Amino acid sequence: MSEQETEGRKKTGHVLSIIQNLYRQQSLSMLFILIIMWFVLAFLSPYFFTINNIFEITLQSAVIALIAAGESFVIFSGGIDLSVGSVFAFAAIVGGLALQSTGSIFLTIVAAILAGLFAGFCNGLAIIKLKIPPFVATLGMMGIARGLALILCNGVPIYGLPAGYTWIGQGRVAGIVPVPTLIVIFFFTIMFFVLRNTRFGRFTYAIGSNTEATRLSGINISSVILGIYMISGAFASIAAVIESARLGTMQPAAGNGYELLAIGSVFIGGASIFGGEGNIFASLIGALLVTTIRNGLNILGVSAFYQYVVNGLIIIFAVAADQIRRSK
Amino acid sequence: MPDLLYMEKINKSFFGVKVLNDVSFRLQKGEVHVILGENGAGKSTLIKILSGAYTLDTGKIFIEGKEINMGSYGPEVAAQLGVSTIYQNFHLVPHLTVAENISLSNFPGKRGFISWKTVGQKAKTVLDDIHFSLDPNLPVKKLSVSQKQMLEIAIALSKNARIIIMDEPTAAISKREVETLFQLIEEIKKKGVGIIYISHKLEEIRIIGDTITVLRDGRDVGTLSVQNVDLNEVVNLMIGKEVKSTPRTLRTIGEEPFFQCDTLSISGSFHNISFTVHKGEILGLTGLVGSGKTELARAIFGIDRFLSGEISLNHQSVHIVNPKKAVQYGIGYLPEDRDVSGLCLNMPVKDNITLVFLAKLKSLIFSTMKERKQANQYIGNLKIKVTDMSQQVKYLSGGNKQKVIFAKWLAAHCQFLVLDEPTIGIDVGAREEIYNLIYDFVKTGHNAVLFISSDIPEILTISDRILVMSRGQIVSELDPHLTTKQEVMTRCLNLK
Repeated sequence: MSEQETEGRKKTGHVLSIIQNLYRQQSLSMLFILIIMWFVLAFLSPYFFTINNIFEITLQSAVIALIAAGESFVIFSGGIDLSVGSVFAFAAIVGGLALQSTGSIFLTIVAAILAGLFAGFCNGLAIIKLKIPPFVATLGMMGIARGLALILCNGVPIYGLPAGYTWIGQGRVAGIVPVPTLIVIFFFTIMFFVLRNTRFGRFTYAIGSNTEATRLSGINISSVILGIYMISGAFASIAAVIESARLGTMQPAAGNGYELLAIGSVFIGGASIFGGEGNIFASLIGALLVTTIRNGLNILGVSAFYQYVVNGLIIIFAVAADQIRRSK
Repeated sequence: MPDLLYMEKINKSFFGVKVLNDVSFRLQKGEVHVILGENGAGKSTLIKILSGAYTLDTGKIFIEGKEINMGSYGPEVAAQLGVSTIYQNFHLVPHLTVAENISLSNFPGKRGFISWKTVGQKAKTVLDDIHFSLDPNLPVKKLSVSQKQMLEIAIALSKNARIIIMDEPTAAISKREVETLFQLIEEIKKKGVGIIYISHKLEEIRIIGDTITVLRDGRDVGTLSVQNVDLNEVVNLMIGKEVKSTPRTLRTIGEEPFFQCDTLSISGSFHNISFTVHKGEILGLTGLVGSGKTELARAIFGIDRFLSGEISLNHQSVHIVNPKKAVQYGIGYLPEDRDVSGLCLNMPVKDNITLVFLAKLKSLIFSTMKERKQANQYIGNLKIKVTDMSQQVKYLSGGNKQKVIFAKWLAAHCQFLVLDEPTIGIDVGAREEIYNLIYDFVKTGHNAVLFISSDIPEILTISDRILVMSRGQIVSELDPHLTTKQEVMTRCLNLK
């Protein structure tokens, strides 16, 4: 056998194993379900498959997708961040106060993101210094951040946002592509490379897979964990900027239940609850699926109350699917 | 009269490796029967089969002449039949009192309400029964190790235990407490209870034991009466015939001290440990379970902080405060429990191999192409059997997993490897490969290895020099060319 032939064989073998790998990945089956769902909805409602509604879905999913991007880091590292919904509101209000006092759109965004980073920093600190499990630390932050949001604005929503700010949420590039959709594509691409090509990204997975082995490989796990929760906080605040810009108001009660949707998105994407595995684009597919279900239920006229039930069921089934896959 | 316990031709394999091979064992009423053997001889497997924790492959168990149905055998059945194991990690609930622990499995009372009076009475009878004076109202967490042990024995007896298994009961208790424990054992012998006693301390076996059964490589090689026993004969039985060690390629070992420990101590683990490793040298370190060798390895790698002492590398004093520092100084560590603290099991082989390399990397971003190339190189060099480099490590065999850890440290160019039981649970063929990796590593004369193992033939084959640890101290230094298996074992057991 010539060397070229062996090389060729290796290549086909490699391609085969890639296909097998893809087949095994939950994200792909979810993408498949997503497409089927789009067809069914299009059949049920003529309104669904309009170009407008397609962009509407990407627009609506932008907020959840961005929170899920941050949550992905946390879940890949074997943790969980329950505080993202509250940090979302906290960041929006801090941004709104900055807007009221400075009038600068740039400073508004900076203040919001700093608020998110700070909340994430506190989460990380509680986990590494006080040795509190992530579930409990972020549960505490969930209450604290929501409370702070209400305190800072006295419970009164902030209105009167300038047009430059609302463009972030309502604007369309070339009159058709929503700005939030572009923001999502931008950040997911960057975060994909952060997870793939940076030491920080690799250590995120390693901590999720085996914290002790990672520590014994000479990695300062504390700083990585701190970074992970700060990223989660930052993405919650980026999402907050987009939603407040889209709705033209900053609400202290905003983001309620978003942690459920974001965590659900990541699990639907096939991330393991034990960490160490996962793909950020899979989380994006998860977010699209969650939003599509919501959008579909809206179009079909299902009450918003039922949507909570559906969201809860989604998480349970996504994780159950993962467990079944793992036990095989 | 039938034997209290008769285990007939017990066989057990783990992953195709025979751990017990036709082992038979008899226990009489009122007898303390000691099981002796090197680490890995099959002692704990045998008692775990008896206590129902493991199922046997073939063999029969008779209790008082009645054959036990092994199909439904398990820990609950064992307990019902009166087989009780006194573990070192206790079955007691620390926050409850002595009396509550005694009644824990079966609280006396009516309609779900506990009768506290009966609880107190029951505790008194149980404790008095073995002449054990202890305040029943004391919370268990306030008891000493030996008090807890004796309380467990008392509870076992109150549940009509007929066979009591004690695994190294004197490992963590003081001399005076040992005496009290032995009095208790004498006491329960009179009740016709049979005791299976596992210990490495030959001197105490003389005091407490009646019969000794020696296991070696999963076979029972002899049963003798403790009366007039010659301890040297016992050691001979434990280690078997002297096997000729395979000839080693001669290497030149540098004169230069490379790694030095000076009077390292951690209270409760080891004290005053001093030794030097030279460039190109494989220093063997052996000792029994609990001798402190694993603790020493962990301290060297910065996992546990030592209280006093100093480590130097190339004549320079270094402060290894955490594993990160150790890695920066070029030290690598293979933990004895490789799945628990050595590998990221659900990550690809590639990611495991490059993990330490990335940890030492200065730049933020790395090239995945270079990474793949590097991983591929080590998979090839170390002949790691994988379907492809993205295969998750958890699907590999023990030997291949160990090679992945090796590759991880080699890829990071570490110079001093601390190997804690690197061949544990690895089959013979893969062992040879691991040994060759170690030789290749030191061959260049720039690196050195601290090889920790309780497998004495292995230590004799691999090491250039052997240190023996016992009870937290280095008790002797031996030349593997001049010493024998028996001498090493004698030193491990701290016999004269």
